[in-house]
Amino acid sequence: MSIAQNLSNAMVLASTYILIAIGLTMVYGVLKVLHVAHAGVYASGAFVGLGAFNFVRPFCTPTLEDARLASNLAFWISLPIAMIVSGVMGALIYLLIYRYTWGKSPTISLVASVGLFTLIQDLLQKPFLLGPRQQPYPAGGAGMPRIETPWFMITPTQVLILFVTLILLAIVYVILNRTRIGLGWQAASLDPEMAAAVGVNVTHVIVLNFFLGSMLAGAAGVLVGVYDNMVFSTMGDVPSYKAFVVVVLGGLGSVPGTIVASIVLAVTETFMVAFAGSLMPRDAIAFLVLILLLMFRPRGLLGRA
Amino acid sequence: MKKFAMLAWLVALAVLVVSCAPAPTPVPPTKAPEPTKAPEPTKAPEATKPPSAGPIKIGFFSPLTGPTAADGQSAFNSAKLAVKLINDAGGINGAPLQLINYDDAGKPDQAASVARKLIESDKVVAAISGAYSGPTRAAAPVFQQAGMVMLSAYAIHPEITKVGDKIFRIGTLADVQGKVGAELVAKNLKAKKVAILTIDNDYGVSLTAGFKAHALKVGLEIIFEQKYSFGEKDFRPIIEKIKAANPDVVYATGYYAEASTLVSQAKDAGLKAQIVGQEGYDSPQFIKLAGANSEGVIITTDLNRDSKEAMTQKFLTEYKKAYNEDADMVGASAFDAVQVLAYAMKTGGTTTDGIIKALKGLKDFKDCATGPFLRYTADRELVRPVSSQIVKGGAFHLYQEFTDPAVTTP
Repeated sequence: MSIAQNLSNAMVLASTYILIAIGLTMVYGVLKVLHVAHAGVYASGAFVGLGAFNFVRPFCTPTLEDARLASNLAFWISLPIAMIVSGVMGALIYLLIYRYTWGKSPTISLVASVGLFTLIQDLLQKPFLLGPRQQPYPAGGAGMPRIETPWFMITPTQVLILFVTLILLAIVYVILNRTRIGLGWQAASLDPEMAAAVGVNVTHVIVLNFFLGSMLAGAAGVLVGVYDNMVFSTMGDVPSYKAFVVVVLGGLGSVPGTIVASIVLAVTETFMVAFAGSLMPRDAIAFLVLILLLMFRPRGLLGRA
Repeated sequence: MKKFAMLAWLVALAVLVVSCAPAPTPVPPTKAPEPTKAPEPTKAPEATKPPSAGPIKIGFFSPLTGPTAADGQSAFNSAKLAVKLINDAGGINGAPLQLINYDDAGKPDQAASVARKLIESDKVVAAISGAYSGPTRAAAPVFQQAGMVMLSAYAIHPEITKVGDKIFRIGTLADVQGKVGAELVAKNLKAKKVAILTIDNDYGVSLTAGFKAHALKVGLEIIFEQKYSFGEKDFRPIIEKIKAANPDVVYATGYYAEASTLVSQAKDAGLKAQIVGQEGYDSPQFIKLAGANSEGVIITTDLNRDSKEAMTQKFLTEYKKAYNEDADMVGASAFDAVQVLAYAMKTGGTTTDGIIKALKGLKDFKDCATGPFLRYTADRELVRPVSSQIVKGGAFHLYQEFTDPAVTTP
C-alpha cells in the first residue's frame, strides 16, 4: 500500500516540477541564461489564477445551483487566464531585460534576474496584491474524479494535476517538433547565429520560447496553489533553486531530460522522507542527488556531451 | 567539462544570491497613529533614563517581510492597539507611550542589528520582541548587555530568558506548553500511543522536548517520531508512515501554514488519529486555509477566545474594529506585552531597575488578553493558565483550561 501510494504521490510532485522546470530549460537552451525570475513568474501565475478564480466565481454562482460546479467552472476559466498573463509576463521579461543583457557576461543576466525575482516577490507581498498572508485557492479537484485502487488512491486534485500536465506536455511536444517555430527553436538552441543565417527569426523564436515556458510556470503556480490550497508571495522561494537542480540534473537545455530529472528527484525525495526519516531536510536531498549525479555524469541525465 | 564547472558555480551563486535576496532593509519607524519621529529631546538622555517630558519610547520588532510576515503584522497591529488604548486612557502617569517599530524579516542577524538601533539611535526605555524564537534569541543578549528590559511576547524557546536578568517572557514557556500537551493527550483524550511530528526549528524542538519529558510520566507511548522543515508543503510520505504506525494521537508542532497543510493531507489520506497542535496553529488563517479539515483539531495556546475576562473580550472586539479581521494568539501576546510593560512603568517608573522591580512584584494581573498572570518566577517566566482550544463550527472554542500549578508552573 505504502510504496504504491508514495509512488503515485511522487508522480504528482514530479508533474509540478516538470511544469516549472521546462520553461527554465527552454530559456537556457537558447539564451544560456539562468532565469531565476522564472520562479517569480510562477508565483505571479498563482496570484493571477487566484484573482481570476475569486473574481469569476460569484458570476458563476447564480447560473449554477451547485456551488461545487460554480467553483469548478471558475477554476477552468482562471487557469487559461493565469497561463496567458504569465506567458505575456515572460515575453516582457525577455523584451525588456534579457534582450539587452544577452551576449554579455552571464553574470549580468543572472544578477538582473535575481533582482527581478526579489522585485516580483516584494510587489506580491504588498497589501493591494497578495499581502503577507497565505490565501486559499479552494478549487478542489475542479470536477476530476477520485481514483481508488487496492494499492493506492489518487485524490481529485492529484488527478487534475496529472491531467493538466499531460495535456500541456503534449502541446509543447507538438509545438517543438511539428511546427516551423518549434524547429526554429531547436535550431536556435544549437546555434543561434547559424539559425539566423539560414533564415530563422531568432527574436520571434525567443519571445515565443519565453511565452511558452512562462505559461507552463503560470500553470504550475495555479496547480500548486490549488494542491496546497495556498497562494503566497514567497511561494517561488523553493522552486527558484529547486528548478535549477532539475534543469542541471536533466542535462542543461534538454526537455526530455528535464522530465526524467523531475521524476527522479520527486521519487527520491518522497522515498527519502518516507524511509530515511529525519536524516536531512528534503531540499538538501535535491542537492545531494545533484552532486552525486554530477560527480559521475557531469553532462546530466540526458544532456548533450 | 569546464563549462559545466562554471555552470555549477553559477547555480551555487544563484542559490546564494537568492537565499540572501530580501536584503536586510530596515523599515523606517512605523505609521503608528502616534508621531513616529518625535523631536529629539534637547538633553540627550541615557538609554535607561528618559526625560520626564515627552513621550516614553518603547522598542518593538517583528517580521513585517518574508515568510513569517503575517504573524509579524498581527503582533505589530496588536501592540499599536495596546499603545493607543493606553494613551487614550492617559498614558503612563500622564506621559504618552510611543512605539518604535522595526522589521526583523524573521532573521536572527537582522533582529540583533535592529536591537542595537533601538538602543543606540532611538534610545528606547525598554523593548518588546514580537518575533519568533530564533530572532528573539539573537536580540535578547543585545538588550541584556545594554542593561535594558526586553519582554518576549510569544517566542517560547527556553534559552531566551536564560540570557539574563533583564529578559522576561509573556508567552508560555515551551517546556510548559509541551507538558500541557502531554497532559491533555493522556488525561483528556485518554490516548496511549502517540506519534510526534516536529518542525525543525527552535520552536518545534523545544516544544517536543517538553512534551516528551512529561509523556513518560503520564504513561504515553511514543511510537513514531519525525522532523520536517519550516514551510513544508508535502506531508504525504510522512502521513503514510504514521498511518502504518497507527497511533491514537499525532502531536504535531508547527505554524498554521504547515498545520493547515498537514491536517488537509491527513484527511485526504484517511488518517484517523486525533491531531494535537500548539499555539503556532492559533490563527484564523489556520481555519481559513484548512477549511472543514480543521474541524476537531485541538491545540494548546495562550488565547482563550471564550474567556470571561473583560480585557480578553475588549482586545478581541477592539482588534476586529481596528483592523477588520479576527485577532490571533500572536497578536494577543504582543498586546499583553505592552500592557505588562505599561503596568511596570506606571508602578516602578521608567528606569530598568524600576521596571524589573515592578515586574517581579506583579500579582494576579488581569489587564491582559491572555491572563490572568499570577506572578513571575525567579527565572522571569510567567505563572499563568494555559488554555486548550478545539476547532468547532469554523472557530476556536475552549476545550479545557489548565490551571493546576503542578503542570503550569515553569
